Amino acid sequence: MSVTEYDAIILGAGVAGLTAGSFLAERGFKVALVTSGEPTVCLSTGCIDVCSRDHNPLTGIKGLAPEHPFHLVPEKTIRESLNNFQTAMMDMGFPYTGTAEENRLILSALGTFKTSCLVPSTMKAAPQDTKDSIHIITFAGLKDFYPSYILSRRKNTKFSVYDAGVSSTMGIASLFEEKDFLESFIDWLKGQNIGEDKIAFPAVLGLESAAEIVQKIAAHIGKPVFEIPTIPPSMPGRRLFNAMKDYFRKKGGDIYWEWPVIGVEKSGRIIEAVMTASKGRPNSLNGKAFILATGSFVGGGITAGRETITENIFNLQVFAPSPRETWFENDYFSFNHGIGRAGIKVDSSLRPEGSRWENIFVCGGILADTEILKNGCGHGLALATAHLAAQSCMEHIR
Amino acid sequence: MNFEHCIRCTICVENCPVMLVNPDFPGPKQAGPDAQRFRSDREKAEDEWVLLCSQCKRCEMACPCGVEPARIILKAQQRYGLEHTHSLAHLLFANNYYLSALGSLTAPIANRFAATKIGKKIFAAIRIATYIPFPKFRFRKLSWNKKTPNRRSRKVAFFYGCFINFYRPDIGKKIIQLLKSFNVDVVLPPQWCCGLPALGNGNLQLARSFALKNTASLSNYIDAGYDILYSCTSCGLCLLHDYQDIMDIPKAKKIAENTYDLHEYILKLVDDNYIKPQFQEVRKKLAYHIPCHLRALGIGYPAAKLMSMIPGLECEIIDDNCCGLSGSYGFKKSNEATAIQIGNRAVARIKKTGAEAIVADCGSCRMQLGGISGLATIDPAEVLSEALGITLTKKKSSRV
Repeated sequence: MSVTEYDAIILGAGVAGLTAGSFLAERGFKVALVTSGEPTVCLSTGCIDVCSRDHNPLTGIKGLAPEHPFHLVPEKTIRESLNNFQTAMMDMGFPYTGTAEENRLILSALGTFKTSCLVPSTMKAAPQDTKDSIHIITFAGLKDFYPSYILSRRKNTKFSVYDAGVSSTMGIASLFEEKDFLESFIDWLKGQNIGEDKIAFPAVLGLESAAEIVQKIAAHIGKPVFEIPTIPPSMPGRRLFNAMKDYFRKKGGDIYWEWPVIGVEKSGRIIEAVMTASKGRPNSLNGKAFILATGSFVGGGITAGRETITENIFNLQVFAPSPRETWFENDYFSFNHGIGRAGIKVDSSLRPEGSRWENIFVCGGILADTEILKNGCGHGLALATAHLAAQSCMEHIR
Repeated sequence: MNFEHCIRCTICVENCPVMLVNPDFPGPKQAGPDAQRFRSDREKAEDEWVLLCSQCKRCEMACPCGVEPARIILKAQQRYGLEHTHSLAHLLFANNYYLSALGSLTAPIANRFAATKIGKKIFAAIRIATYIPFPKFRFRKLSWNKKTPNRRSRKVAFFYGCFINFYRPDIGKKIIQLLKSFNVDVVLPPQWCCGLPALGNGNLQLARSFALKNTASLSNYIDAGYDILYSCTSCGLCLLHDYQDIMDIPKAKKIAENTYDLHEYILKLVDDNYIKPQFQEVRKKLAYHIPCHLRALGIGYPAAKLMSMIPGLECEIIDDNCCGLSGSYGFKKSNEATAIQIGNRAVARIKKTGAEAIVADCGSCRMQLGGISGLATIDPAEVLSEALGITLTKKKSSRV
C-alpha cells in the first residue's frame, strides 16, 4: 500500500475542484486535492449562477453559442450536479434555495438586481421586484458598503447604523457567532420599531452559522430578513468555500495546502505524478488520473503573455481568439471581450483536445468559450463540468 | 519582494486571526504589501503595529497570487527592532533558549518560583502574560547522543527542539523508542534553538547565530548518511524555510533537502515497505488541531494519515484556526487579549467536535489550547506510541 498514491488528484480548490473531489471520494476513491492559495470562490457572492440569459437557466443554456462547454454536459447531469450540491450544503448547515428551472433575483450592494439560480438561504427573502419597502441595517465604520447607493435606486427604503465596536467584515461576522452579541443586537433591533416590509443587511451575519442567525433574527423581529452580498471580503463566498472544503474532507478527501505544482512526471500518454517544492524540498504525489480545475486568469490556471496564453501545470494548448486585437473591446465594461473565451478546449469526456494525455480531465473556469461574465454561468458551469469530469475520470480509473 | 503582485483581493485579510479580534492591527494586506510601498530606507520605521502580527503565516498560505505578507511584515518587524529599543519581554523571549537551559538546570526551584506570588508579580512587571500556566521545566533534558553503531539501513538525526528538550523530554524519549521500534537508528546531534523565537522577537542576528551552529552540526550528519527529523512543526518550518529564505544561511538548501517531519518520514517508511506497523485499537475521539506552521510546510497532514490507520480512533481535522499563542507572541502582555480571544475561538470550534482530547504537533499550541479548554492535550507521536504499545520504563522517568 502506498500512502502517497491516489486514484485521482485534483488540482485547484475552487467550486469545480472540490465538487469533482467530493464526487469521487463519495464513491470510495482515494482523492487528494492540491492547491496554492485559496480559490477565487472566496471572492464571489456565493451564489450559483447557472445561466442568466433566460428566466429558465436550462432554456438559457440551450441558447448559448454552439462551442460553449455547457453543451457537453447532458441536462440530466446538470440537474444532478445542482441537486447534489444542494444536498451537500444542507448537510453542512449552509442550505441553498432555488431550482434548475427558475432564476431568481438578489439585491446587489448598488441597488441593482443580480440574476442567479441557487442562492444561500440568507438571501432567500431578497425582493424580486421594486415594490417591497426595505430597511437596511449597516455597521459603523464598515468599508465598502454604502446604503445610499441602494436608496438612490429604490423608493421606500431607509437605513440605520449599528455600532458593533469593530468595523472589519470578518470582525463583525465573527461577533455574530457569539450568542451574547447576537442577543444584544436583536434587542437593539427590536427597539428600532422598523415599519418596512423587509430588513436587509450587508452579508456579515456570521461565519459558519449564518443560516441560523438570519432565521433567528427574522423570528424575533417577525419580518423577512436577507443579506446583500458585498465586495470582498465576501462572507457568503467564504462560507461556501468552507462548507465545500469541509464536505470534501468529510467524504474522505485529503487536502494539500501550500502545494504549488512545479513539475509533472509522465510516461507515454499518461501523467504519473505532480511535483511541488514544499518548503525547501521537492515532493510528489502519484495519481491514476488528474482533474485540472485551476481556474482562469484570476484563479491562476492560465497566464497571458503579450501574444500567447499558457496553461500553468501541464502546459496544455490554450485556445485564444485571434487575432490578438480581438482580445479586448474598447469599452471596458463590455461583456464581449474576446479574452473571455480563452481556455482549454476539450472533447466530450472533458479530456483536453489535441493533447496526448489520456488521464487529464478539465473542468470549471479554465475551459474555453465559457464567457462567464456575459452568460452568467460561473459556479453553475463549475458544478456541472466537475460532475462530468469526475464521471469520465471514474471510467478511466476503472 | 513580490508585494507588487498583490491584487488587493483581501483573501489574506479573511485569514488573519489577529485582525479578526484586534482592530489595532490593520491586517496582512495593509501591513504587508500596501504599507511596503511607503517604507523607505531613508526614514525611521514608525509602523509599531507590525509587532502585532503573530507570524502564523496564514496570509501567505491563502494568497492566490504568491505574495508573502507575513514575510514582508517580518522584515518590517526586524527593521523596527533595529531602530527602536526592545521591550524586556522581547529580549527575554529572543533568548528563550538560554533562559530555558537555566530554568531546566534549576527546575525544582525555577518551577516553584514561577508559581509564587512574587514570581507572578515579576512576570507582570516585565509584561509577561500568565493567563495560561507557564510550562514546567524538566530537570533532566535530553542529552546529545552523537553516535550509534551503524546497524540499520535507515538512520536519522533527531532535531528535538526546545519544547521537548526543556519541558517534555518524555515525548522526545517516546519518539526515539518509536523510531527504534521501526528499525531506525537514532542519534541526537549537537543542536541549539532553531532560532525562530529570536527571529519572532526582532533579533535576526541572534537567530542567524543559532542557525549557523545548527546547520554546521546537522550538515555533518547529512554527509554521514543521516536524514534529519523534526517533530516541532515550527522548528521544521524554520529549518526548511526561514534558514534559506529569510536568514540566508549558506548550507540551508542542503539541510532543507534532507530534513523531514517525523510523521512524514514514518509514512515514507510505510510507503517504501520498510515497515508494516501493527496498530492496536485505541478507542478515543480526538480533535486534531493543525498548527499553522504544519499547514505552511506544504506536506499535507502526515500524522493524520498515520492516525487514520489506527483502529477505533476517531480524529477530526481542524485547520481553520490559529491557536493564538504563536510561540512567545501570546506570552507578551501586549498581545495577551488578542491571544486569548483567538484561543477562545479555536477552543469553541474544538468543543463542537465533542472530542475528549486535543492532539497537535506543536507544543505551544497544546499549551494554549489545553490551558484555555481544560481538555487533555497530546502529541501525535504519543498517540502512535499508545497504538503500538510503547511505554517509557519507569526508572528513567524524568518527571519532577
